[in-house]
Amino acid sequence: MSPALKVGIKEWKEMMRDKRVRSGAFVMPLVLVFMFVALFGFMLSAVTDVKAQRVHVVKTDSPLVAPLKKAFDIKDVGTVAEGVKMVRDGKARLVLEFQASKGGQYTVLAHYDPKEQTGEVAFRMVQGVFSKINEEALRAFLKSQKLPANAGQAIDFKAAPVVVGDAKSASDLIVSLLPYLLVLFAFTGGLAIASDLVAGEKEKNTLETLLITPIQRSQIVLGKTGALALVCFASSLSGLLGFVICSFAKIKGTEMIFKDGLGVSPVGIGVIILLMLPLVLFFASILIAVSAYAKNTREAQTYLGLLNLVVVLPAVFSQVIGLTDLGKQQWINLVPILNTATNIRSVLLGKPEIVPILMTVGVSLVIALIAGWIAVKLFLREEVLTRI
Amino acid sequence: MVKTENVTKHFRDQKKNLVKAVDGISLEAHPGQITGLLGVNGAGKTTLLRMLSTVIQPTSGRASVAGFDTVTDSEKVRASIGFMSNSTALYGRLTAQEVITYFGSLYGLDGDQLKARTSQVIEVLNIGPFAYRLCDKLSTGQKQRVSIARTILHDPPVLFFDEPTAGLDVVSSQVVMEFIEGVRAEGKTVIYCTHIMSEVERLCDKVAVIHDGRIQGEGSVDSLKTQTGETSLEKAFLRLVGFQSTEVAHVPSA
Repeated sequence: MSPALKVGIKEWKEMMRDKRVRSGAFVMPLVLVFMFVALFGFMLSAVTDVKAQRVHVVKTDSPLVAPLKKAFDIKDVGTVAEGVKMVRDGKARLVLEFQASKGGQYTVLAHYDPKEQTGEVAFRMVQGVFSKINEEALRAFLKSQKLPANAGQAIDFKAAPVVVGDAKSASDLIVSLLPYLLVLFAFTGGLAIASDLVAGEKEKNTLETLLITPIQRSQIVLGKTGALALVCFASSLSGLLGFVICSFAKIKGTEMIFKDGLGVSPVGIGVIILLMLPLVLFFASILIAVSAYAKNTREAQTYLGLLNLVVVLPAVFSQVIGLTDLGKQQWINLVPILNTATNIRSVLLGKPEIVPILMTVGVSLVIALIAGWIAVKLFLREEVLTRI
Repeated sequence: MVKTENVTKHFRDQKKNLVKAVDGISLEAHPGQITGLLGVNGAGKTTLLRMLSTVIQPTSGRASVAGFDTVTDSEKVRASIGFMSNSTALYGRLTAQEVITYFGSLYGLDGDQLKARTSQVIEVLNIGPFAYRLCDKLSTGQKQRVSIARTILHDPPVLFFDEPTAGLDVVSSQVVMEFIEGVRAEGKTVIYCTHIMSEVERLCDKVAVIHDGRIQGEGSVDSLKTQTGETSLEKAFLRLVGFQSTEVAHVPSA
């Protein structure tokens, strides 16, 4: 067994006995994803579950109330003033006031607070029901005049989707969220323990006993980096597992998110893993380098906190890259972290491309090697290694 | 055997001033002898041991351990030494047995040889009752025994001890000193750093008094007393390091 492997196995064993690693790298990503999806499902139900919308109607004998009663939870109020007061007091989202019909057209006033999102949502939903009634009325009129159903439209605008890549793809939420979370979990998974690996050893005086063993310092760095990379990778996989579990859990409101399961083929998962492997190696190397440079765990944690921001920024940008053309430009594949997230996004959209993926893997490997080289150089500098 | 020839180690402090931590030390330590390095805190003893154990390199001069140069043959030097210090800790989340096995494997022991040697040191040092307990849960004395096991597991010909009894109670100190006497009897070369005079008098065959990075006096305890004309090692030491008694003003009582 190589000395690096011996060091790596020992580090892994120690890390697995550390509560911070077990909770931070394994439990938290899973729980966070589950909670996030459940929360999103709850919010989605709130804005899409029409029957759950309570709409107040000022007492009327208008025939329009009947279709509304089928769609919404309708409650009566005595007068307009009473209804408006209820809106002001936050006791009603939307109060409908039916006015007398003029020439066969009904006027309905919707009283709501536009600053309240629940009022806005209810307004849009009622608007949808009335639009349908309007369309049906128009269609009936056109039919009575023996005109085609689309005669009232100057332009008949229809979608004709072009299938690019796989026909199946992940939902919008997964596409925007999963790349960001996979990258973030990979980094934060190793963050909690990184300061212990070298700075902590300096502080506890265990490093010197390791340095006086016959193994080379580069082997020590390699072993520690390998073990930390494994934790980073496991943390990322834990987040992915969270999404897989959610896709089977049938949480209320998440039907739209997981209509095709996770929407990723086994090959897609394989490509995601291929993209993540060099990235976790880079994260582990840079974390070890910072830990080696720091005098103690406290100093290491300060540096790592700043480094966290550097990682979060491109990861966050990957969430909105779809709104721009940047994702399609080749140079994006040269930007560390962002390139991985962007290519994971392509996989989730069912249209991975081999050249950008290979470029990303190559760039991640090169920067992982550079970070590893820096870590080794720091390990060889006695003034860095022996200072506390 | 350990040999240094005019070894120096210079650092820059935080204000970029040159600090001569070790300033031209030449000494020899022989098998079957305990060579003491006696000095106050900051005298340069630990820096010298760090150079001999290849953790740091000398600024100038040469040092060899077990016949290997500390700079050009550093791996062979490290394979030939055992280092024990009271300040070095154990891995808290590993058991005593795991720590011993881990270091044994790093020193190149494996398979049956590693198992046999681990069992042997566990038995000799009476580690068995707590071998499967995490090091974080061990008492100071138990930790010290595990440190000894880690130090001797690969049976090195040269052993360095850096204030190994600091902070230990009388019983634990006794265990450590008996162990050191034992390895001397086995013919190993021992370098023992301390500032405790009684330990030097009990253990050391030869003493080098180090002060400000230099050897101020060298020889057996008796020869140091003779050289300085003092009756005790403590006084001889103080004379060699140039200590002068100062009159301390008495605070009048209320």
